Amino acid sequence: MALLRFGSDFPIPTLQRELERFLRNPAISLGLSGYGAYPPLNVFENDHGAVVVAEMAGLDPSQVNIGCQGRTLTIRGERKPREAGNGVAYHRRERSFGEFSRSLQLPEDYDLEKAEAKYENGLLIIRVPKAEAAKPRQITIQAG
Amino acid sequence: MSPQELTAKEKQELSGQEKTRPGRYYQPDVDICEFSDRLELWADMPGVSDQDVQVTLENNLLTIEGRVGTGLYDGLSPLYTEYNVGNYFRQFSLHESIDANAIKAAMRNGVLELVLPKVEAAKPRRIEVRVA
Repeated sequence: MALLRFGSDFPIPTLQRELERFLRNPAISLGLSGYGAYPPLNVFENDHGAVVVAEMAGLDPSQVNIGCQGRTLTIRGERKPREAGNGVAYHRRERSFGEFSRSLQLPEDYDLEKAEAKYENGLLIIRVPKAEAAKPRQITIQAG
Repeated sequence: MSPQELTAKEKQELSGQEKTRPGRYYQPDVDICEFSDRLELWADMPGVSDQDVQVTLENNLLTIEGRVGTGLYDGLSPLYTEYNVGNYFRQFSLHESIDANAIKAAMRNGVLELVLPKVEAAKPRRIEVRVA
């Protein structure tokens, strides 16, 4: 499969074009429930493994649970509304709140046991390294 | 009653306004609430750090702009995508008189939190009615 790689310092339209290309057109099946589910996910790969990025602003990281079982990765949590108090008039209320749970199945090439997650600027970033067996290896030719 | 289940909304792409920087812009979802002495605005801008957000108030026009970093995507190729990424932009004209020098802004976990204090004259005052 020919996938264009982002170089360093790439401009945002390049990123947007690439993301657009894969919208509703997955390169691999991840057993995902589909669109409209929260949080929305993007899944990438590089030489080291897979990177799952979820857009979920304004969460308390202690309220987010990430679990794995077999090949399935599950993100579960709750986005809580702020307590504004009584006597406050809302002019706009567009942000939504509630509980969520999403699971995805990664191919066997990835080692979920070694997955690492961080929450940064409202993005949940989960890095799952490639399994040792799935890493490219050089096979030395022995002199006859 | 079971807890509300959170669903993802499609991001609203900005249209009708052209920006000097190329690429798509999205409208952040906002909550705006009014207190007796201030307005508070919260805007969801996932992917924007506190270094990359700009808030201006000029002639009662409040502008918020957030730029997403692309560094995270260095060397990655997409396998599966559900959302696109872009900068955020939104403007509001304010009817209330806001003390521009006292505005406080903070970015917390991808949410812009703005406190817009009203100027003294705009705060509700109780006027005593004196018995003649």
